[in-house]
Amino acid sequence: MCVCVCVCVCVRYTGLPPSPCLRVSVCLYIRRQDVLPLSSGDNMLPLGLLLLTVTAIGTGTGTRTGTGTGSPSLRGPVLGFSSPVPASPSTPPLLLLREPGEERGAPGVALARSAAEEPSGPAEEEQEGGEHQHHGGGYRVVQWEWSYVQTPYIIAIWLLVASVAKILFHFSQRFTTVVPESCMLILLGLVLGGVVLVANKKQLYQLEPALFFLFLLPTIVGDAGYFMPARLFFDNLGAILTYAVVGTLWNAFCTGFSLYAAKLLGVIDQRVQADLMDFLLFGALISAVDPVAVLAVFEEVHVNDTLFIIVFGESLVNDAVTVVLYKVYISFVEVGAENVQTADYFKGVASFLIVSIGGTLVGLVFAVILGFITRFTKKVRIIEPLFVFLLVYLAYLTAELFSLSAILSMTFCGIGANKYVEANISQKSRTTVKYTMKTLASIAETIIFIFLGISAVDKSKWAWDTGLVSCTLVFIFVFRAIGVIGQTWVLNRFRLVPLDKIDQVVMSYGGLRGAVAFALVVLLDGQQVKAKDYFVATTIIVVFFTVMFQGLTIKPLVNWLKVPRSTNRKPTINEEIHERAFDHILTAVEDIAGLQGYHHWRDKWEQFDKKYLSKMLLRKSVYRKSELWEAYQKINIRDAISVIDQGGNVLTSARLSLPSMASRASFPEVTNVTNYLRENGSGVCLDLQVIDNVPGAKVEEDMETHHVLAGNLYKPRRRYQSHYSRHFMPLGEKERQDREVFQRNMKSRMETFKSTRHKRHKKERSLKKRRGSDSREDGGSDKPRRNVSWQDKDPVVVPVESEEDKAEHSDPEKEDDVGITFVARKAETPKPRPKSVPAALDGSSSDVPLSPPGGDSHLPWKGGVGSPPPCVSVEATKIIPVDLQQAWNQSISSLESISSPPAPPEPVHPRVSALSRLGGPRPVSYTPPGSAMGSTSSSIGAQVSQGSFCFPEKKKKEEEEEEEEGGGGGGGGLQEMQPLMSSSLRPPPSSLPPPPPPPPGSGRRRNPCVYLRSLVTAPPPGGSEQHSRGPTQL
Amino acid sequence: MGALQSAPGHQEYIDLAEKTGFSFEQIGVLHKRFKQLSHNQETLRREHFNEIPDLACNPIRAQIVEAFFDRRNIRQNGGGTVEEIGFEEFLVVMSHFRPPSLHMTNEQRENVRREKLRFLFNMHDTDNDGTITLEEYRHVVEELLSRSGTLEKETAKSIADAAMLEVASISMGHMEPDEFYEGITFEHFDKLLIEFEIESKMNIRFLNMDTTTLCK
Repeated sequence: MCVCVCVCVCVRYTGLPPSPCLRVSVCLYIRRQDVLPLSSGDNMLPLGLLLLTVTAIGTGTGTRTGTGTGSPSLRGPVLGFSSPVPASPSTPPLLLLREPGEERGAPGVALARSAAEEPSGPAEEEQEGGEHQHHGGGYRVVQWEWSYVQTPYIIAIWLLVASVAKILFHFSQRFTTVVPESCMLILLGLVLGGVVLVANKKQLYQLEPALFFLFLLPTIVGDAGYFMPARLFFDNLGAILTYAVVGTLWNAFCTGFSLYAAKLLGVIDQRVQADLMDFLLFGALISAVDPVAVLAVFEEVHVNDTLFIIVFGESLVNDAVTVVLYKVYISFVEVGAENVQTADYFKGVASFLIVSIGGTLVGLVFAVILGFITRFTKKVRIIEPLFVFLLVYLAYLTAELFSLSAILSMTFCGIGANKYVEANISQKSRTTVKYTMKTLASIAETIIFIFLGISAVDKSKWAWDTGLVSCTLVFIFVFRAIGVIGQTWVLNRFRLVPLDKIDQVVMSYGGLRGAVAFALVVLLDGQQVKAKDYFVATTIIVVFFTVMFQGLTIKPLVNWLKVPRSTNRKPTINEEIHERAFDHILTAVEDIAGLQGYHHWRDKWEQFDKKYLSKMLLRKSVYRKSELWEAYQKINIRDAISVIDQGGNVLTSARLSLPSMASRASFPEVTNVTNYLRENGSGVCLDLQVIDNVPGAKVEEDMETHHVLAGNLYKPRRRYQSHYSRHFMPLGEKERQDREVFQRNMKSRMETFKSTRHKRHKKERSLKKRRGSDSREDGGSDKPRRNVSWQDKDPVVVPVESEEDKAEHSDPEKEDDVGITFVARKAETPKPRPKSVPAALDGSSSDVPLSPPGGDSHLPWKGGVGSPPPCVSVEATKIIPVDLQQAWNQSISSLESISSPPAPPEPVHPRVSALSRLGGPRPVSYTPPGSAMGSTSSSIGAQVSQGSFCFPEKKKKEEEEEEEEGGGGGGGGLQEMQPLMSSSLRPPPSSLPPPPPPPPGSGRRRNPCVYLRSLVTAPPPGGSEQHSRGPTQL
Repeated sequence: MGALQSAPGHQEYIDLAEKTGFSFEQIGVLHKRFKQLSHNQETLRREHFNEIPDLACNPIRAQIVEAFFDRRNIRQNGGGTVEEIGFEEFLVVMSHFRPPSLHMTNEQRENVRREKLRFLFNMHDTDNDGTITLEEYRHVVEELLSRSGTLEKETAKSIADAAMLEVASISMGHMEPDEFYEGITFEHFDKLLIEFEIESKMNIRFLNMDTTTLCK
């Protein structure tokens, strides 16, 4: 069905001769009748199909009526893009002040109006056709409502076509590396336009200035402004402004005068009725480098940052110059050159200042508003991104409203607000903003180029004059080159990093013209500017030449010149640190030298920002964090993501190189950096890059990896879950996702875990210390745990969920973007739990994640879970006495504080006790028990399912299971171990053997045990304990 | 030194210009500043730097001031610091921040780079043992973050630790478990910041004109 619709629609829009359309529609019609009875049946599917069919038929009918009546004009308006109506209203933004009331009043309305008007024409027509068909019966099951959906439908179809075209282009990798996408899109536009023209004898579609200036351009500029590298932009602001203002003026005047000279010399045909003012006007609109084209082409070329920002910044900032020149010349053309008074020139200059500075100010005002608003969106995270889009767009519209430079306004709004908004909104919102902006910008760009192509295929535009075209091409190129070289020469006297010759060549060659010029020239009033048609044709040629020819050749040129490329590499932490340090060093040296240079003022600005702006625009929680910290956090997140993306490969390789015992040897060494760090409780999620770079790195590194993984990887997920599960999302899906992820990475992680196990203790200890200070985190940990239990439990224990909910409610204030480091770990712990349940069922794999949490065993809740058998811990003690002792003590204390589980030391029935606890009166505040319950239940489930899980592989689960098993098979083991343990430690474990064993300490100890066991071959469940013991003795 | 001001063509001027690469005008401007800072004395001491108002809120002020008194930076033998510096030393330190000239061979560029890098390294390597230890690095980061006040020291530590680990992984590659990384040597430092383009960043525009009258 879909295919049918597509075919039909394509036929309709490509304007093929009516006969096939008719046929298609007829056969669809027939089909509809077939389908009808079906639809009356029962389900929705046939109905949907029916609707589709009908739509298709309707489209067919529309075509038929349209072509049948022989009034192609009717079809013109059909496309929202092509309606002639907007032409006049669209002018306002760039037009003179003359008629501010009428036209400028409501550009948006204008479009709405045009949209409203469009359907009306065809609607009537279609109604006739429709009535024909419909008069047959009384009530029609299906109505043909083409006129109703027409406008959005056509827009959607165009977007679809553009997007599909993009997909197609990228099928061939080799092709796209050579030919820029923009070229292909223009070519596609030409083809589409040709088809329409052949079918219709008249071009129906063209790039409408109103559409372009009000919708397409803002999406691109908004994206560019918001994601503009602010620091780079301001570092090169001098150069950018010079090129944008001086360069554009130079280009405009020189091109204009030279064309006029060419005209006088007779190079340009007499048919081109234009005098000096017309040529200056044309020069103004053709001289500006176009942001859309520059972005499209330079994005694929990847020149170095400085070069890119200069060319791109110029293309954005020169908008003010272009707008002013354009307006001034239009007014001059209207009054007539001879009537222009000297005062008008000054007005022009004043107008330039107002337009540019005013536009910038409007942008900055909106930036402040935006920053301020996002400060308070904590409770409405879901609409955060909307504020960004709305205010940035409003900045653009407001500037248009006052006929200021809208591009400048939007750019500065984006640049200004970015810092504060990014800090204020949540990580998810950031992602949303980013992707939405990119999507919109990308599609807008696509549409622009396609329509540029289509617009070119129009007989009315073929007012060709070879002289004009060739002169323009030569002049803009030559003057661009001269301008760049001249300005660079001047600039290099001031620049610390001079622009060399290669840069100048690329800058000259990168002066692409594009859709802005085209839209401006289309806006010209044919009455005033007699040579408009020639100008339009010339502009199209210029745009095509620059975008296609220069766009095509700039890549080889850049390669040939060996222009330094931008590296995609993200800065390392060290580079970030030094970046910051440099700012201060340079400022200080400037101060010492008594110079008030760039760094001096930048520092002044930063202080101002810190004192006032940030205080006002940033949330309090964010305000305290320094930029360096943010950078550091970002790097951490990035690394975590990259690790995830690699699917655990890194870990695997690390695992391979792990010496099982060597790590232990290094353990006590405080001198080792990693150990040292751990010892001192840095508790950082260490940079994963470290691990990435050193696949076979030390065991410690692995531990770090684990850390980071657990923290960074899972925390967001957990947050996600909690955040959405409450309001928006079905919980089940989340869980499934989590489980999936876990299982995917489980194996490798487990391995890692084993190897790193004992190391962890130290870290954990440090973590523990930290924990004390961070009550919040605890809450976080609890939460995840809840989730876990809930996940596993779902079928088994209903009450768990409720508990979870409560818990969530209790910490609603928690920010989503809590630091990765510590919280993550807690999150991690919970995860493993949930996993454990499934793991128990399906074997060992799920347990792996648990192991990292094993570090979390100190957590009170763990204890609540009913820490497993003391025997395990005993073994651990043997191996690493110091560590274990400390951990043990801590864990015990934490346990006690939590609550003492009432579980009797019944070895065989620990689960039962746990269960009873679960079902029984659980204090809500007593989150740990909940988790414990979950784990216990899971373990129970596992046991129920079978006693044969692979113990060796399980970690935490195992612990838990072990306790239970310990209950069963390990009872003896326990007793054996007890003597080994220190007396102080002993008592608590013995008292709370299976269900409420000392959580943290025991967990840790267990882990080592697990590790040992894993070293040994995996034993059957029953024998697992013995095995574990064996390794311990190692 | 008083002669400096009056006679730009003086031998001392020429020597200084050769040694530091500054132009006569720049030397003149800097000399004026030197006099201003030192209250017309022949030497500068630390307290003079502390009187500069703009410097007061610079988080790493201490390190930078220290760099001016570091023997390594003023091309004297041995490590340690001196108590006071004359104009020549002042100029030599300043010359580390001179922008590279427009036309340079790659070799020259590399030299400039290493020189600037060395300055930076010396700044971090406070005990002059040829390595930046974790302690020293932490100190740097702490200072860097000190202005943001509310930030915990713990965080600074974490960042420094993470950075150090990164260095270890970059410079040492694969490390055996019992190996340990004792600190950043200059070679590692070089390697670490190879992408950083220090030669294009560690620059200040020294004016030829005298603008000190505009400042306090």
